[in-house]
Amino acid sequence: MKLMATNTGSYPRIGSRPEFQVLRQAIAQRDKGTKTDADVKAAEDAMTRAAIEEQTGSGLDMVTDGQIRWYDPISHVAGKLENITINGLMRYFDTNSYFRQPVVKGPIRWKQPVLRPDYEKAVALSSRPVKPVLTGAITLARHSIVEHPGYESDFGSLVRDYNMAIAQEVKELAAAGAAVIQIDEPVVLKNAGDLPLLNETLKVLSQVKGKARLALYVYFGDPGPVLSALLDSPADIIGLDFTYNTKLIDQVAAVRPKKPLGLGLLDGRNTKLENADQVAKSLERLLKGISAEECYLNPSSGLEYLPRDRALQKLKHLVAIKNRVA
Amino acid sequence: MSRKKLKDLGFDLPLLPTTTVGSFPKPPELMRARAEFAKGKITEAELRAEEEKATIFWVEKQEEIGVDVLVDGEMYRGDMVAYFAEKMPGFVLGDLVRSYGNRYYHKPIIQSEVKWPGPMTVGWWKFAQSRTRRPMKGMLTGPYTIMDWSFNEHYVDRRAACLAIAEEIRKEVEALIEAGAKIIQVDEPATSVRPEELPLVVEAMEIVTEGLPAYFITHICYGAFQKIYPQMLDIPVDNFDLELSNNELSMLDLMKKNRFSKDISFGAVDVHTHVVEDIDTVKKRIVQGLEVLDPEQVWVDPDCGLKTRTVEESIEKMRVVVTAVKQLRTRYVKSTSQVQ
Repeated sequence: MKLMATNTGSYPRIGSRPEFQVLRQAIAQRDKGTKTDADVKAAEDAMTRAAIEEQTGSGLDMVTDGQIRWYDPISHVAGKLENITINGLMRYFDTNSYFRQPVVKGPIRWKQPVLRPDYEKAVALSSRPVKPVLTGAITLARHSIVEHPGYESDFGSLVRDYNMAIAQEVKELAAAGAAVIQIDEPVVLKNAGDLPLLNETLKVLSQVKGKARLALYVYFGDPGPVLSALLDSPADIIGLDFTYNTKLIDQVAAVRPKKPLGLGLLDGRNTKLENADQVAKSLERLLKGISAEECYLNPSSGLEYLPRDRALQKLKHLVAIKNRVA
Repeated sequence: MSRKKLKDLGFDLPLLPTTTVGSFPKPPELMRARAEFAKGKITEAELRAEEEKATIFWVEKQEEIGVDVLVDGEMYRGDMVAYFAEKMPGFVLGDLVRSYGNRYYHKPIIQSEVKWPGPMTVGWWKFAQSRTRRPMKGMLTGPYTIMDWSFNEHYVDRRAACLAIAEEIRKEVEALIEAGAKIIQVDEPATSVRPEELPLVVEAMEIVTEGLPAYFITHICYGAFQKIYPQMLDIPVDNFDLELSNNELSMLDLMKKNRFSKDISFGAVDVHTHVVEDIDTVKKRIVQGLEVLDPEQVWVDPDCGLKTRTVEESIEKMRVVVTAVKQLRTRYVKSTSQVQ
């Protein structure tokens, strides 16, 4: 069993040191008209570089671009699709952060690659493999305001059309060489009725992924009640949040998964560093029962919910535990 | 309805009282002073002088516009949770985390037992109230929100942290009442975050308000109200300050199904857009609200604190609320008296 340390998605785009303030300043100054979009892009590049450096410096085996360019997990991709406008703020799950709601006004159509250019930039900056991360179609759909009559009474149709756009993104990312592509579907933990749609959407993505492996990640909730369905879904890797249910370790160990898992054993949303002995013990127990050739140790969610210094500490803690067990 | 309670407390407010949610933007001079203070270039007294100047500006501006129940504008606060965490032993202030888009805040970390350090807002309330004859709201952040917006490294769980904070916030409420505050807003914007924790919000607010002689308001915003309504009405306050405009008045549908049984501060302008709504738009929103709500239970204000807007936008957004209400008031005073 090969155990790898990875990030789950986002990384802080700000920090206390002046060099970590550049993006905030550039956006504020652009809004006032004293800087340009090109200045903001340059600041995004600088903060992406910093996010990758901190991840690789921590010893992660696989990194993300930190999703530095994302306004939020929903509107970043949804807002660039045809017939979607962006509306007011809404809280994102039980986080203290907010996203802008997409308003679907007509048939959803993909226009051009959103994430591929960012992925290619990140690859050029990273000494480790980069994992692109996308929010999945069901999570996008559940957070949208639907004004297009064609979708109003047909949620499945809304999801399928969102998924066609996500499939285009997956195709582009696979063509650009991504070995693992992560699809985040946290919303299925809140709406178990969406599981049939999850299977359907992942099946479509599987058909366009090429040589890449699809990683389904769920978080912000307890995956215990839907564990079997998640493990049976047509994704190659299943990422689970272990912070909502202390018995999940037993549940997962009991089903002896055959697929590689993303083990979210460290809380991506609390600064407290977990007891390393306890995590290592849980990890060993889990790994014994998993028959896959590899697994991933990662935070339970993206790290942008932590201050930068604490996010870095969390990653170093994670890598230290991984090295102890691997 | 709590009109009687307001009268008993000595207030004779007009129909559809206007107010604001709490924060106003800091004028550029104050922003400069805060930056200079952070760099150690000016003294605390010099910063305080700028904060007082800005507070006076906003008190006078609210009076000039004709707002009925005023706020101090929170010129002395950075963030609504961090302000209290900075003052209360038990917290340390973490580095910045993102709230949304390009907005960040210092998220506190609970590292030991939380304690009330003595009055945290009373001095500012007294200062602002001394500048006006109109009622000034006491403004606090509620225990559930302080807990939810902090990292917890000390208490065994969220409930223990929340209830411990509630005991300390009650002491601040008591201090405000002792100083003369009679309308006190305890903001709980995190209320709708975890619907299963609504009983905890209620329990914590009971600790904060039970048996105290004041008209209590709570502000809740940007959440999934459909998951906590109407149960949220169990929170022991007199008035719920809610954002109605941000989501195109969709909350009214919920209120049609289950009557809104308390007073409401009806958010009639969106605070997250630079566009200042025209009077007819705001009037239309209020009228739509009054199709579902009794005029006697309605206050009118912006959706949320105005601190993310410019000074000019904030003034205009307040002005449009007050103007719209003034134009509607006569109509509803008449209809109310006819009903009576």
